[in-house]
Amino acid sequence: MSERLGFDHVTKVFEGQRGEADFVAFDDVTLQAGPSEFLAVVGPSGCGKSTLLRMAAGLVSPTAGKVLLGDQPVQEPPPGVIYLFQQYAKSLFAWRNVIDNVMFPLESAPRARRGELRRQCQDYLRQVGLAGFEEKYPWQLSGGMQQRVAIARALAANPRVLLLDEPFSAVDALTRMELQSLLLQLWERRRFTAILVTHDVEEAIFLADRVAVLSARPTALKEIIDVDLPRPRDQLATREHPRFLSLRHHITASLLGPNEKTNEHAALV
Amino acid sequence: MSAVDRLNVSDRERSEPRSSREWLGGRASGVLLIVALLSLWELSSRLGWVVSAYWPPVSQILAAAFAQLMGGEILLSLAATMRRAAIGYAAASAAGIVLGIVLARSRLLRCGLLPLIEIVRPMPTPAIIPPLILFLGVDDALKIFIVALASFFPIFTTTYAGVAAVDDTLIQTARTFRTSWARTLYAVVLPAVVPAIAAGLRTATGLCIVVAVLSEMIAGSSGIGYYLIETQYAMRPDLMYAAVLYLALTGYALNRVFLAIEMRAIPWMGKS
Repeated sequence: MSERLGFDHVTKVFEGQRGEADFVAFDDVTLQAGPSEFLAVVGPSGCGKSTLLRMAAGLVSPTAGKVLLGDQPVQEPPPGVIYLFQQYAKSLFAWRNVIDNVMFPLESAPRARRGELRRQCQDYLRQVGLAGFEEKYPWQLSGGMQQRVAIARALAANPRVLLLDEPFSAVDALTRMELQSLLLQLWERRRFTAILVTHDVEEAIFLADRVAVLSARPTALKEIIDVDLPRPRDQLATREHPRFLSLRHHITASLLGPNEKTNEHAALV
Repeated sequence: MSAVDRLNVSDRERSEPRSSREWLGGRASGVLLIVALLSLWELSSRLGWVVSAYWPPVSQILAAAFAQLMGGEILLSLAATMRRAAIGYAAASAAGIVLGIVLARSRLLRCGLLPLIEIVRPMPTPAIIPPLILFLGVDDALKIFIVALASFFPIFTTTYAGVAAVDDTLIQTARTFRTSWARTLYAVVLPAVVPAIAAGLRTATGLCIVVAVLSEMIAGSSGIGYYLIETQYAMRPDLMYAAVLYLALTGYALNRVFLAIEMRAIPWMGKS
């Protein structure tokens, strides 16, 4: 189950406080992720990538323009649009054990279905590699495992659109690769629409069908690049693919801007 | 299997194995200091370093404490004090937790009530006992009210600050799952604030006994506070110190019980 999610001429202005100038976060951004598409958005830090996702999630409303889920404008958090936060530790409920965290989105369901839903959640935990950890608490898990719990919880909410806000930036490099591969597996199985915001160019290329490059403030859409790499992607083969390297070169150069020398050291942001 | 190792480590940290050597290193030196100070007290009285009829040796105080226990009257006094402290504490807890949460979440009520609370808070509680005696009399109503008033503030303040400190990510997470306002309050905000509430409640456990004793000293006919004044008139410092000893033991025990409950009920406290 998936849905198209689009930004239609979206402008976001944050009002300046106490005489400060207004801050234009986005200027007329039009961008769309098709059903079951994996779209990555990269941009320099501070360009308001998270704000883009928050607007998609209905947590923040645009100043002008529309966010559309299918044909419906997004005003408040729509059902099935799930946000995976960068700070997994802060988005998990510390007082709930792993299985109860995953159960959270399902607790408005009728009591009679609880047993069945609980079994479902156990299956989600198995899918993210956390079978047997149901009764542990978040603080008893490593960072990568905590983010797995957050992913399982997102699956439980039956996402049509999954919004990923730098979800793997706080874990170590090896764990990050594991989680990337896991995410792709789940995406291929469930076919939700995925929008990933990241500053990691390689991560964007590795995961996405298309990569949207944003410019620095005020943020506008610079270009959209098709990632014509074969799937299923592989952490070694894909990353060593000549096309991967040329895409990385192109996107990194685009991010650094025309004034930067694009030698390989500078390209490894 | 590094993840499993990590789990084992955190489990081990929590169970805190207490070897006797650890006990000697940690607790024992503190106990030793107490014993040393009490011995000094004993000697200073016995050997006449402090010459006063009102400086009884520790052994005499302990004997008095034992006699009090046998007579049973000290337990009745303690029970009277604890009853007032407990009623006031319960009322303060209910009011402090409810108001703390509601004021932090509602702008309207905050604007209405916060100035009042901020004006009343700096008032030293004992200062309003004399005028309140005229209004509430010298009976339980006065003492319980004073206990409740004094205990209210630490509970309210930590609850209020705790709600304000609830991480926005938690609230946003609940929002993206389309959680209702009411369910967000009781299933997300409330449990997230429990550690802060517990900290306020623990501060108040000590305070409620202090204020109960104080109010009994000013306007009492029973309780440890009244007992202290009575034994002062009787010029019996041994009985007075013995009564203080019972208060100290009670306060210490309450704190230990509180910590034990905290450990069990809020295992995530201090973890993130």
